[in-house]
Formats: sequence, C-alpha cells, structure tokens
Amino acid sequence: MISKDQLGYLAQISKIKLSEDEAKKFPEQLDKTIQYIDILEELVSGDSIVLDLQEMKFDELRDDVIRMSGGQRINKNLTKDGFLRGPKMK
Amino acid sequence: MPKLQDLQAHEVVQGIKEGLFTAEEYVSSVINRIEDVESKVRSFITLDSERALTSAKLIDRKFKEKEDIGQLGGVTVGIKDNISTKNIRTTCASKILEDYFPSYDATVIRHLKDNGAIILGKLNLDEFGMGSTTEYSRYHPTHNPWNLDYVPGGSSGGCGAAVATGECTVSLGSDTGGSIRCPASFCSVVGLKPTYGRISRYGLISYANSLEQIGPICRSVKDIVMILNIISGKDIHDNTSMSSSPITINNKLDKFNIAIIKELIDGSDLEVRKTVYSASEKFKEIGCICNEISIKNLHYALPSYYTLASAEASSNLARYDNIRYGFDLPIAEYKWDTYFSNVRKNFGEEVKRRILIGSYVLSSGYYSKYYLKARRLRSLLKLELLKLFKKYDLLIGPTMPILPFKFGEKIDDPIKMYLVDINTVLANLAGIPAITLPIGFSNGLPIGLQIMAAPFEEQKLIDVSNALENTINIQRRPILI
Repeated sequence: MISKDQLGYLAQISKIKLSEDEAKKFPEQLDKTIQYIDILEELVSGDSIVLDLQEMKFDELRDDVIRMSGGQRINKNLTKDGFLRGPKMK
Repeated sequence: MPKLQDLQAHEVVQGIKEGLFTAEEYVSSVINRIEDVESKVRSFITLDSERALTSAKLIDRKFKEKEDIGQLGGVTVGIKDNISTKNIRTTCASKILEDYFPSYDATVIRHLKDNGAIILGKLNLDEFGMGSTTEYSRYHPTHNPWNLDYVPGGSSGGCGAAVATGECTVSLGSDTGGSIRCPASFCSVVGLKPTYGRISRYGLISYANSLEQIGPICRSVKDIVMILNIISGKDIHDNTSMSSSPITINNKLDKFNIAIIKELIDGSDLEVRKTVYSASEKFKEIGCICNEISIKNLHYALPSYYTLASAEASSNLARYDNIRYGFDLPIAEYKWDTYFSNVRKNFGEEVKRRILIGSYVLSSGYYSKYYLKARRLRSLLKLELLKLFKKYDLLIGPTMPILPFKFGEKIDDPIKMYLVDINTVLANLAGIPAITLPIGFSNGLPIGLQIMAAPFEEQKLIDVSNALENTINIQRRPILI
C-alpha cells in the first residue's frame, strides 16, 4: 500500500498539490494500478530481449537550417505593449 | 436526396461542384443541426459558426469565379480540442489551457484548410486525452447519440458523437491507446488510427508521443480515404513522419488471409462476440480466409501501455508550469516554494493520477521493474505481430470488448476504466494501423469490428473495410429529435 508519506513525496516530485479528497482516495487507487502493472515482473529480464525494435526506417533528419520565425507569431498571451511578458515573482 | 447535413464528405464536394447547393447552404444546414441537437449531445467545447460561414461564402465566391475550391471544398470538419488551431481556443478539455489560443495551425489543419475544408469548431475529449468516456473533460461530458444516458467512448468522444449526429461532416481525433477507435465504435461510425509516422503530429498537444497518432472519424470508408490522403505525408516539423503512397477505393477485393485474435474475442461480452463472428462469416462470403489465432504476450499489453503512457505523460505535462502555459495568477500567489504545485493543482483527478504513476515508474528503484520491462514487452509484441503479418494479411477482433455503458459506471475505479482499452492498445504499442467499422447493434447500442494490418498497409484495411461496409446494411443515423 502506498503510504501517506510516499504519496506526498510523489506529489512533491510531480509538483502537484493534492486536495484533501484526493489525498484520501489516491493511495488506494494508485495501489490498485501498481498491483495491476506488477504483472510485468513475470517477464524475463536480461539482454536476451531486445529493448527497442527499429523496424521502421525513418527518413533522414532534416537539415539544420536557421530560419527567422518573426515576432508576429509570438502568442498574444505572452506579449504586452510590444514586449514579452512573464509572470511577476516575489 | 438526403438532408444536406446527412451528406458524406465526397457527396458534399460533388454537390457543390455540380451546383446542386452552395457551400453556405450546406454549412447553414449543419449549423442548424448543431442548434437542434447540441444541448443533448454536447460534442463541442468551442463552436466557430461565424468563421465557418465566412469560409463557406469564400468557397462559393471561388466556385462562381471558376477557381479551384479544393478536394474538400465546403466540407465541415470538427477538430479534437488537443490539435492546435491558429487563433481558435485549444483547451485539451483542461482548465489549465482554458485561455490558450495557439499562434499556429497543426500540419493536419494546414492540409485541411489548403484543400478547402471548413473548420467548424473544437470537440470535447477527456482532459489531455486521458480517458475512455469524456467524463474526465473539465468542461462537460459528451453523450452517446444512440442513447443519451450512455457514454460516447473516449477520449475523442466529441468527435465520434458529432460525426454520428451530423454536427459536422468528418472529424479529426487522436489515438494514444484507442481514443479514435473507442468513440467511433461506441457511436457507430468509422475511425482510423493510421500507422505511426504516416501523419505529422506537429501541433498535436503531446500526451504520449511514442504512441499517439492523429486520424479521421467519418461516416464511411470512402470519406476516411479522402481525409487520410490529404493529411498524410512527411513533414519537416515532425521527424517521425514519413512519405507514403496514396490509398484508393478498389472495387475488387484480394483473397485476404484473415486471423481472428482469440484473446480479444474470449474477453468480450456475448453479444459483441456473436456480432464479430457473424462479421467474420461475411468475410468468408466475400472470398477471404478466416482462422482463429492466439497472441502469446497479449495479456501484458495493457499494463505495459499504462506504464509507458503514464511515464510519457508525467514528462510531457511538466510544461504546464504557469510560465510557458497556465493562468494569470494574482501577485500574492507567486511564491517560489508553492508556485508550480499551486498552478498544477488545476489538473483533473485522472491527469494527476497518471502523472503520479508516471513519476513512480520512472523513479530510481522502479525504473527497471516497470518502465524498462514495459519497453521490452513492447518490443516483444512488435516482433510477434510482424511475424504474424508474414502469414496473415489482417488481424481482427472486437474494437471494444463491451457495449457502451452508463455515465458513472466506471469512474470511481481507474482499473475498470483502463480495462475498456484492452483491445485497442496493441496497435499503438506496435505502431500498426487499425480501423473500426460499425457492424451491428445490441439493445440499440453499437458494436464495432477492429481490423489491424502491418505498418503502412492501410490499403489492405481500406479494401476489406470497403467490401464489408458494402455487404452490411445497418442504421447510420441515431434518432435524436
């Protein structure tokens, strides 16, 4: 069972504040999910199983060409009086 | 002639080009339909009727002046609200993006517009595409047009419901673990998840990049082909995209070797099973060979999918930090120690659960136990499927193991909800194409057949789906008013 402390730690590294209701019901729900994916433990580990299969051949990467994107494409939410706008911090 | 809003995409283009009706008349009839049924179905998050009518008038002017109106001239398209549309609000059904207006169009949107399609609005989904019912939308749930007390499937539930009711001609959804096929099946329309790489993901707001693809939801196989050919192709902005041959509608069907996946059938409801077996008999009638086969590692697919998808989600959703995206909080709220978590508390419960699980499976000590094992399983499944495709042209099974269910039935138990995706995640893990086709009803609720093919073998999917669609005669339009 995921403890209250473990849940707190997961929330902290995920940068998420949980409501009282979530903090109450999440341990059981997350525990069930983890129990469900525990079946993966049955799989044989080791190098005998390839990690990733590159069956599909992707086209070559594009050329690294510098292009001007232009200020007009900057989202209106981020600009004020022609300047870039960021959140104020204390 | 059927009502204008009931026409399929190819009929709309033909009608406008032959001067049978104008684009404005067509778009107006679709908007009237929305006014009639939207309060019951609730497919849309944002409706852009005014801009749609302006675009329709432009199409009519072009036609009058003998200019090319494009392959989709006048066709109304609904877009899942996690695909970026320039200057049209794109929320991902999340509160965290409630005021987000993208500054660019996704590549698929650019292709649609270049071909004369009219973007009608943005359709509902589970927040960030995480869910199978639209109940996790932070705005409102969408209702199944075949029975309003039932869920429409998800996460592209708005797309499935809008196409089924005639609120738009076609729609574009995205499919990470079945999000196109599930609502298409539950709403009795056709939905295609293309091969990973066939369609550019540029502008699709990421949830699990290695699994997701954009794809069409339509009322016929012919419309699927029309949309697919327009939105496919290599894109400079997405290095996983590839060129592919155009798909055609062929009237002659090859004698395909089809395998029914035993595990998908065995785990399904009796009515679903019966209907799928009856469809497989139809395949035999049209000259195909059908055998039942087993996939050894299939029972690991769903746990593997949820491990990988949650891991990718926890990483992808880190960008919602109120600096790049978020709210305009009052100054008093800006404190470094609580800044990010205060903003991110606005995610819905399911998104939070998946981010937490993602952080868990990626943390040291658990990485090799879960994430690495899931990656290995994915490789094993791909190998097994590619081996099967050397022997069989197509694999089939029920799209959904169950019939559409009532609101609230599974929402309190995440595992019950995850199990809804059990038949669809395989195609995402392996990157193969899969289509769902309506094949019947039970108690008035739709049943869909899923057909899968080897990577980039969409032509086989289309050939066999077209042949089956022509032999199965089922009701196409739900009666809502």
